[in-house]
Amino acid sequence: MDIAISVQNVSKNFGEETVLSDVSHDFEEGKIHGIVGNNGSGKTVLMKCICGFLLPTNGKILVNYKQVGKDCDFPENMGIIIETPGFLPGLTGMKNLQILASLKRKIGRDTIYKTIERVGLDPTMKKTVGKYSLGMRQRLGIAQAIMENPSILILDEPLNGLDKSGVEQMRNLIKGLRTEGKTIILASHNQLDIDELCDTVCEMDAGVMSVVRE
Amino acid sequence: MFKIRQICSVAMYNFRKWRRNPRVFITFALAFILCFLLSDKAVNFAKEYKTSMQIMEAFIWSFEDANSILLASLLLVFLFSDMPFITSGTPFYLMRINRKTWLAGQVLYIVLATFIYMLFILIATSVVCMSDSFVGNMWSQTAAILGYSKAGNAVALPSIVKTLEMNTPYECMATIFLLMLLYSLLMALIMLTFNIRKGQLAGTISVFVFTLFGLILKPDLIKAIFKLPERLAYKANVAVGWLSPLNQATYHMHNFGYDRLPRLWQTYIIFGVLIALFFILALRSIRNYNFNFTGTEG
Repeated sequence: MDIAISVQNVSKNFGEETVLSDVSHDFEEGKIHGIVGNNGSGKTVLMKCICGFLLPTNGKILVNYKQVGKDCDFPENMGIIIETPGFLPGLTGMKNLQILASLKRKIGRDTIYKTIERVGLDPTMKKTVGKYSLGMRQRLGIAQAIMENPSILILDEPLNGLDKSGVEQMRNLIKGLRTEGKTIILASHNQLDIDELCDTVCEMDAGVMSVVRE
Repeated sequence: MFKIRQICSVAMYNFRKWRRNPRVFITFALAFILCFLLSDKAVNFAKEYKTSMQIMEAFIWSFEDANSILLASLLLVFLFSDMPFITSGTPFYLMRINRKTWLAGQVLYIVLATFIYMLFILIATSVVCMSDSFVGNMWSQTAAILGYSKAGNAVALPSIVKTLEMNTPYECMATIFLLMLLYSLLMALIMLTFNIRKGQLAGTISVFVFTLFGLILKPDLIKAIFKLPERLAYKANVAVGWLSPLNQATYHMHNFGYDRLPRLWQTYIIFGVLIALFFILALRSIRNYNFNFTGTEG
């Protein structure tokens, strides 16, 4: 199977502090890869490095065989949700996604409409994002990540703030995305999410990555 | 064309965040108070002499002075203190464009926001003197008294005869507006570049140093350093006119044909080159910038 993301000897320091220490791992295409670890273990930093927001102090990251930060600023064809998704609070969810979609012009209003429905929100809702609950915002964040049909998804705690039925709905959505052949990297504190959803599991501890399940 | 749309979209995103942003309201409220305080002297002078004013004169007399330009620009720094404007919504933009396009969008926002701010100052000073003013393109009696009788010196209003004789009020207003805009843009871009390269504290310090340089660099300092005799004092004036960015931004510190101070077009080129230089430096710096976004906008 092809490698979608290859992390090669990546270290990341913030001043004197080492957050990632010589991390190497290949993420195969079409699978859900789980990353577990305590707060501050380096999960989010690794994800930000994969997305190109943070540049590794040492090592390199290849996404679809292109080196992030060298061959491209940010990987193409990648959808993300990292930390609390930020939207313009004065606009509706639909309008927020339309603004983001206009940057690439890959999709139209209909696709956005269907994606919002797919994550369990009402696209016709007049409520502005400022009045959304955390769970609704999280769903909208997932919608913006998947709306342009990217082949890779980076999901950092995507089920945060969702109620029980919301979690179940999102789990089914993520499983559905796998059957569509997408590569997903999922970070979660919830062991059940990892056990149920992920094909492979890695653990981060003090910036060091170890494989838990191949 | 597509890139231009992306750049405009990034700039527009920042403007959308003006809604409900207390810092924007505070900046503009303080700017209005500043305009009121600065133009109050001219308005009171006109009232005292029972003369009218040309509607742009309050702006011209208030911002023909280096200190006023400095104060107005520093208020703008307050608006831009969180450059390069990274929020939890930034990653969604970044993933759909590239670093340079994103930064170009930020710079477009800075240019437009500075223009809007300057326009607000112009309108605010006009509003302050509106009750007793006219719109015709000629200097008022108030201006004539202030300039020719040296009464301007007495009330600390920099109404210079040179200004009155070389230009009409609207031309003069446009020149001062442009000089202030360029000075503020240069200050903002210096801050942006240092914010990206060395962090927000360094950005703030860079503005402080830039401002201090303009404040300290006075003819007396040059005279003292080079021990110039009084007969060569004009050389110190000319040197300061060229070296101090604040003097470059001051209308009457320019050459209108009878001294060696910088000409207006030379100032425009100097500011233009420096702004372009810092823009290029910022573009180069963004390549290695680590985006650290936290918090939420909602």
